[in-house]
Amino acid sequence: MSAQDTVLVVGAGPAGLSAAATIASMGKKAVIVEKEDVLGGAPIISGYAKLVPSGEWAKDAIGRMVSRVEGDGNVSIHKSTKVTQVAGEAGNFTATLSNGDKLDAGAIVLGTGFTHFDSINKPEWGFGTYEDVLTTTQMEQMVGTGQIRCPSDGRVPERVAILLCVGSRDRQIGREWCSKICCTVSTNLAMEIKEISPSTDVFIYYMDIRTFGLYEDKFYWKSQEEYKTKFVKARIAEVTKSPDGRLLVKGEDTLVKRPIVIPMDLVVHAIGMDPNALNPEIAKTFGIGLEKHGFIDRAEQYTNSQGTTRKGIYVCGSATGPETIDDSIAQGQAAGSRAVADLYGQQKVAS
Amino acid sequence: MAIHEKTLIDPDRILQHDHLVVDGVDVSGSWNTMITPRTLTDYEEHFEEIIQSYSGGENVHRCWQCGSCTNSCTMYAQNVDFNPRYWIYLIRLGLKAELMKDKDIIWQCVSCNKCTNICPKDVRPEGVMKATAHWLEDNGLTPKTLSTHFDEEFTHQCIEFGRIEDTEVMVGFFKRSGQPLVQAWIVEFGKRLTKRLPLGQLAKMGMNVVFRPKTKSWGKTGEVLAEYVKAQKEAAHHG
Repeated sequence: MSAQDTVLVVGAGPAGLSAAATIASMGKKAVIVEKEDVLGGAPIISGYAKLVPSGEWAKDAIGRMVSRVEGDGNVSIHKSTKVTQVAGEAGNFTATLSNGDKLDAGAIVLGTGFTHFDSINKPEWGFGTYEDVLTTTQMEQMVGTGQIRCPSDGRVPERVAILLCVGSRDRQIGREWCSKICCTVSTNLAMEIKEISPSTDVFIYYMDIRTFGLYEDKFYWKSQEEYKTKFVKARIAEVTKSPDGRLLVKGEDTLVKRPIVIPMDLVVHAIGMDPNALNPEIAKTFGIGLEKHGFIDRAEQYTNSQGTTRKGIYVCGSATGPETIDDSIAQGQAAGSRAVADLYGQQKVAS
Repeated sequence: MAIHEKTLIDPDRILQHDHLVVDGVDVSGSWNTMITPRTLTDYEEHFEEIIQSYSGGENVHRCWQCGSCTNSCTMYAQNVDFNPRYWIYLIRLGLKAELMKDKDIIWQCVSCNKCTNICPKDVRPEGVMKATAHWLEDNGLTPKTLSTHFDEEFTHQCIEFGRIEDTEVMVGFFKRSGQPLVQAWIVEFGKRLTKRLPLGQLAKMGMNVVFRPKTKSWGKTGEVLAEYVKAQKEAAHHG
């Protein structure tokens, strides 16, 4: 396996799996290096329920992407492995893996993804204090079980509050970006909750609703009009517990200009997408730059669309910022194609 | 004296007592004023469905609070308290007590339908105003107008007797609307009538009051009519 016909793909989430499949389909070798012991990335590891916008279960949809590369002779896979060092230059990289192996590759594609925001960093919203405060990923897992229950005592919740922008759009904690997907995920989650538990009313506490593109009517409108999700314009200040065991969400209803203290049974944090916690290490290993929020920085975008700040290394998916699964997959194809073009030495980049 | 900024507080939240004892301490005098909290402590989830059950209110759940209705509203231009966007929000969350504060102006909607034409979500705010007014009326939350009292007496007589009796309609109307039976204009009317003395007519009116004639073969018509009116009203309210 020579450097000239091999691309190293780091990370096996939707973006990396897509890149690897693209490279293989063009007759080149893709070597996937994945730090976890399973393939599929966040949708599989965090146990997402039904995906937006297909409505397909994550394990089926992403499972297909996994089996596509597993069954491909042009793709080799290293699980529970990290890249520890990268030497050489575009067209002729040598990567050292954590198992000691060395690997020659003409180009590198990073699909290193993101880290879910840890709600512990917003203690006023009760996560880690009250059992009935969950994150969207935990709620997705609950949806996967087919039952909606309060973890504290197993009762069916009369009311669920979903708090948007947890770990997003918050200068207080250094998250100045919109995580892009949480609005749509939350409107979808509200529908899933209502489907499983028709007696449960879901309230979404928002500052803005950003269900962009076709998500507008397929998710936001549908959730509000057909599934009776209530949208309340309030950024919650605090989640506490009332003497009867229910949770209380406190805040200001900005449309009524009044303080609110409303009883809820379950509170769900719509957690945002942080830069991968390992990004400083990744930046050092691959010799690439990070942008101001800590995501992987991009090259000149119009002629080197999936490029990083280092020639020959490409990036796709949520490693560059909050991203949808669909767009991550498209970017994986784009990055895979750029990398293969590099192998032919014919890539033209504006300097 | 204790609160200098009383103008900033809703009058109905200010409690004032000449003599006030809190926790055994007499705080009468300068400290006799208390303010009830502004906090909203719950929603009435099913209130939205009640308004939706009235004709015109069906689409209220679609609202996303853009404010186009209020922005285009003829009445809002006259009175900034006339705010359909705000009332729709209160209806959706069931913040009934807040809605009640504006119950005496909701009926002022002139049905120009500018809101309905501009609404991006097809909420039909004009219909919501109408539905809300009907709900207020049905629940006795707004006083009946004089014309409603008159209509009710008129309808009652039609259904009961198949015809109306002028004097009875007037007496019934005065009773229903709490007006005195003897009014200055009636006295004047009586005086002038006496001058001309149309005895035959007076006698006939007098006889009619005493004997209350029914329309011939009225039979069960009244019952059928009442049933029909009830059905029509229900159909109008519940689509």
